[in-house]
This record gives sequence, structure tokens and C-alpha cells, in this order.
Amino acid sequence: MLKVLIPTIMLFPTIWLTSPKWLWTTTTAHSLLIASISLTWLKWTSETGWTSSNMYLATDPLSTPLLVLTCWLLPLMILASQNHINPEPISRQRLYITLLASLQTFLIMAFGATEIIMFYIMFEATLIPTLIIITRWGNQTERLNAGTYFLFYTLAGSLPLLVALLLLQQSTGTLSMLVLQYSQPLQLNSWGHMFWWAGCLIAFLVKMPLYGVHLWLPKAHVEAPVAGSMVLAAVLLKLGGYGMMRMMVMLDPLSKELAYPFIILALWGIIMTGSICLRQTDLKSLIAYSSVSHMGLVAGGILIQTPWGFSGAIILMIAHGLVSSALFCLANTAYERTHSRTMILARGLQVIFPLTAVWWFIANLANLALPPLPNLMGELMIITTLFNWSPWTILLTGLGTLITAGYSLYMFLMSQRGPTPNHIMGLQPFHTREHLLMTLHLIPVILLVTKPELMWGWCY
Amino acid sequence: MRYHRNRIANYRETREYDAQRAANQNSLFVGACFLLFAVMATYKEASLATRPKTLDPAEYFNLSPDYRRAEEKRAALRAQLKRQYLQQLNNPHRKELIEDPALTRWTYARTNNNYFRPTAKTSLIGGLFGVLPLFALYLVFKTDRDKREAKIKAGTYERPYKLST
Repeated sequence: MLKVLIPTIMLFPTIWLTSPKWLWTTTTAHSLLIASISLTWLKWTSETGWTSSNMYLATDPLSTPLLVLTCWLLPLMILASQNHINPEPISRQRLYITLLASLQTFLIMAFGATEIIMFYIMFEATLIPTLIIITRWGNQTERLNAGTYFLFYTLAGSLPLLVALLLLQQSTGTLSMLVLQYSQPLQLNSWGHMFWWAGCLIAFLVKMPLYGVHLWLPKAHVEAPVAGSMVLAAVLLKLGGYGMMRMMVMLDPLSKELAYPFIILALWGIIMTGSICLRQTDLKSLIAYSSVSHMGLVAGGILIQTPWGFSGAIILMIAHGLVSSALFCLANTAYERTHSRTMILARGLQVIFPLTAVWWFIANLANLALPPLPNLMGELMIITTLFNWSPWTILLTGLGTLITAGYSLYMFLMSQRGPTPNHIMGLQPFHTREHLLMTLHLIPVILLVTKPELMWGWCY
Repeated sequence: MRYHRNRIANYRETREYDAQRAANQNSLFVGACFLLFAVMATYKEASLATRPKTLDPAEYFNLSPDYRRAEEKRAALRAQLKRQYLQQLNNPHRKELIEDPALTRWTYARTNNNYFRPTAKTSLIGGLFGVLPLFALYLVFKTDRDKREAKIKAGTYERPYKLST
């Protein structure tokens, strides 16, 4: 763990001491080095348990895929931001990359934490750099509103979590995940215990987001600059899923009865947000609502507490992280050229950007869960386990899959096909950097088809 | 829209200034309308064409002078907007899209929900699609799962799939 954490902390001196000519090259190379070191985590020393060198930071098959995703995403974020940050003064550029690197540090410590309270502190700490990125570097005046919604939704959800964790510490004496997994099941039989159960989960459900409390997500994703959107969609949402999976271990048997409203909200949310996607005019807003839809499926899979549900949830989280981030990068390339996120203004792009049309095609096919990509793997496992839980869910999840295919194809056909309007003809051609960014997003998705054991979590 | 108004505001200042100094009019259309209402002799349509409605004196036969002045001002505004658009359209160095304020208004209206008002109809739709399905789904899932739980407790539940995990 330290072999990744110390280079990540050393990224700060790298950012501030490099000469301005070499800033972006150096930071990209440094973060790629960290990403390649993080791949060594994938070799688990013990088959199902924790791999740790100390008591406080450890990796296990649940956190490792998310850690590798986080480390992989930092060079991609730096690559994506290069163009729109370039006009700014050099110290502001350094500050931007510092915010991304600090987000990386907090996320590594969050996913690697063994004490739940450390996870909570890092969970809250990731809010600050993200808020600064959204409200300072966003492009429209609505970014202030977006930052407010983002901060206060997440904070309001996580304050009960703090209380619940302190209560858990009082009753069991420890908050270490290494110990709690072996503890006796808690006696949960009163109204107070129900509130405690809700307090444990609401923070993560708001972060995921669950359908009823998802309002912060479209605002935050749309108003954030590209690196902010990437990290939000790819990793920060998964913090919620990861936290839920960790907390579910000790929340039985109350979850059997109390999970119903949340499962129903998640499933109905798939259909509702999918339908909203079909009516969007703003490209980034469409991708944001599709994130809510996929995360609804993940939430449903986790709340059911079956092995297939958990495995499906992790696979879908990793696959969705990469694909959603790729879609935001593509939307950003269109935004940088036309300075508008309206879908009808940037249409017919296939004629002038043919290679980029390939990336759009692959990313949209991955979004609609085309076999054999891991998106389908995760979705199919969750749909199957939901069917086992109650056969009536197939109506909701099947309709949800249909609507997902609908809006993914709508996004592709609207942006790529059709006659190219005249004002698009003179747009700047694509840079190698942008093609590299897209390949670095999509190649891991395709490679994961060949070795999905990396993502299955501890249930296999 | 503010851009257009500023341009017209500037123009109006210019026009009043010119009117104070009794100088020449700026726009041919405005001049034609003004002269039409003053003299009604300068505009001559082509031999087989019809006169446009805005310049036909018969149209304004029974209208008050106030209305005619307002109509003249509106014609001036239209002429200015058209002039601005034609200048942008025929500019050979223009590469980008001509900004359409209607499109800006439309995207703003579509993305911001300030135009939602809770009426009886919208509340009914919201309740029907947003609140009722939650309770309906709860009933469906709960009864289905309770039936299965009762069967498991009675020992009559046949597991349909043979899963190892």
C-alpha cells in the first residue's frame, strides 16, 4: 500500500517544483507510473482475505478493483484537462492538478481503509477538492448551485452515518473491518435500531445515488469541468457502493425488512431516469442521468445481499466507471469545439471525425451493456439475482435494459449520424491526445472481458 | 436578446439625435415608412408585383396616428434585426454558427426547471408515476416474498435453480 501512497503524496512536490514547460508531461508520466505500480495489487496473496502490511490500510478483492480504477483514472484526468486549463496562469494550473492529486490520495486511503471511521473521514474529505473543482472551474453560472446541491446533499446524508458509527463503536468496541466481519450478529429489534440501520446506509445511498435523492448528480456532473465529471462518475459514485457493501456485513438481519423501500426506489429509478434520458437536450445531462440509472441497478444488487448481487455490483461499478468516464471525455471533446452542450448543435460528427465515431460507437455500445463487455456481465448477474429474489423484478429490469439501449443509441445517432450542419464543417480536427485518452479508457474495458476474475470480489 | 436591445437603444439615441439635428435617416426601410406616412409617394412597386402590406396605405386607412407610429417603430426594429442577421449571414469570413437567441432560450428552458408549476394536472401525473408505483411495487414484492417465506417455513418450496453458491 505504501508503494502507491508515497508516490502519490510525492506527486505534490512534483506538481509545484516542475518547470512550467514540463508540468503536464511530468505529472502525466508520474501518475501513469503510479497506475502501473497499482496493478501489482491485483495479485492477491491470500485467496479471499485481506492483504495488508499493517492494521490500518489493507486491500481485499472488493477494494482492489476500485483502487486500480482510481489510480488508472488520474493520468486520464490530467490528459483530459490539458486543453481547457492551458490558457490559465501557471500557478492556477498547478493548483488544479494538486486538487486532482489530493482527490487521488483521499480516494486511495478511503478504499484501502480498514477502520470504518477512516473510510468515513476520507469519504468526507473527497468532497472538498471536488467542490473546489466544480465551483471554481465550471463553465456556467449554475456551477454555484451545483456545488451547493452536491455538498449539502452528501453532508446531510453522512451526518447520521457519523452518529451511527460512533454508536457502533460504543456497542462493539471496534470499528475495524478486519474484526467486525467476525463479530456476533447484533441484536437489532427496536425502533432505535431501525434508525441506526437507516443512518448507516443513507450516506451511501445519497452518494450512489438512489433515485429519490439523486438531484445533486445531474447538476454536479453537468457543471463540473471534464476532470471533475470523470472522477465523479467513475470513482466518487463507487465510494457509495463500496461503503454500502462494507456496512451490509453487520446490518443483518434487519436488512431483510427495511431494505424494501430502497430496493423499490432503486428499481423504479432505473426506469424513471432512463426515461428522462430520452428527453434530454443537454449531452452531459444525458450521460449523468444514465449514471443514475446504472447505479440504481448496483444499489438493487447490493441491497439484496446475495453473492451474485455483490459480484454483479462490483463488476458493474468498474465497467460503468470506465465507460461513463469515456463518455464524458467524448462529450467534452464536442464541447471544446462547439462551446455548447446542446445535442442538436453537435450532430453529424461521423462525417468529419471518423475515428472518433468509432470511440463514440464503442462507448455507447458498452453503455447499453453489449455482450461480451463487463457491463453486460454485471447487469446480467444483478438482473438474475433480482429475479431470484422476486420474479416480478424482471418487468422493471427488463424495461430498464430496453430504455438503456434506447437512449444509448439515441445519443450515438444524434451526435454521429445524420447530415452535418454547416457550422460543424470548420471544426478543429482531433488531437492525438484525445485519441490516446479514449483508447486508455476503452482498452481496459475490452481486456476485462478476458479476465473477469479480477473484478468478481470475494464471493468467488 | 440584450445585444439586440442595446443595438436598437443605441440606434434610437442616434435617431433622436439625428431627428434633433434634422439629419438624414439611417435605414432605407425606416426612411421609406416615414416618408410613406408623410408623403406616400416615394415607394413604387414593380409593375406586376403587389405592394407589401406594411407599405400599403390602404391598410392604414382607419388606424389612429398612434398606431401608425407604433407600427413604424416595429418595422424599424424588424429592419434592424434583419440587417444584423444578413450582415452575419453574408460575411465571407464567418465560420461559426449565427447565434440564435431562440435556441438559447429553448435550451435554457429545457435544462432549468424554473418553468415547472405544480398544478392539479402535474401533481396528478407526479403522484401517478412517482409515488403510486413505489407503494404498488412494495405490495407486489412483499406479498410475493411473504408467500415464498411461508412456503419455505412449511417446507414446500422447490428451488427452481441448482446454484452452487
